[in-house]
Amino acid sequence: MDATFDPDLIHAIFKMVWSRRAERNEEIDVVDVEVGAGTSKKSRPTTANPSALRVSCELLRLFVTEAIERTAIIAEAEGINKIEPTQLERILPQLLLDF
Amino acid sequence: MDAGGVGGAGDGCFEKMETEEERTELLRDRFRLSVISIADAEAKKLGMQVAEPVVACIADLAFKFTEQLAKDVELFAYHAGRKSVNVKDVILSAHRNDHLTSLLRSFSQELRDKEPKTERKRKKSSEKGETSVPS
Repeated sequence: MDATFDPDLIHAIFKMVWSRRAERNEEIDVVDVEVGAGTSKKSRPTTANPSALRVSCELLRLFVTEAIERTAIIAEAEGINKIEPTQLERILPQLLLDF
Repeated sequence: MDAGGVGGAGDGCFEKMETEEERTELLRDRFRLSVISIADAEAKKLGMQVAEPVVACIADLAFKFTEQLAKDVELFAYHAGRKSVNVKDVILSAHRNDHLTSLLRSFSQELRDKEPKTERKRKKSSEKGETSVPS
């Protein structure tokens, strides 16, 4: 079985990001008294369903494996069997564009 | 060991930021461990070794990617008028890359296929809200 991320860990990271955003929005809302019904939606916390978390884990796993696979290809072409930072540097721009 | 735990709010803002940083660091560490095991497994499969700085760098990037993903899916769900992020939101976040999108679609299809039939039936008639799983 392939190693992958723990959905609970990813969920925890998501929640951290969402609560950071909610706090920032709260600060903005305090100033903006005019806005009525619209703001109440944002103040309730965002959640994620279990399948969404598992697909997120897969997406992240693909990111890591792609990074390794692409660097490995370069290393192999150079005739070495250890992936070094130089290989990573070369594949990084395209990797970041692709994800 | 940690600051500002049980009792009153105390200084409020400063303490909250401190524990939030600690929490972030804890998550980042756990995340890095996962990346290390995934990266090592993949490298092994390819018969390669990976230098430690490379894995650390990939871990940092992946963590930032995760944070960005969180923001994106939250926005997509909100845009669709929902509070809860679902699979479609995650798949949408990969829209710039067709290959990636189709990989995620097949993965989510497999997930749906693996679901026991009883769960799917319950989802369709979702009124009662029973939590017990039939054996």
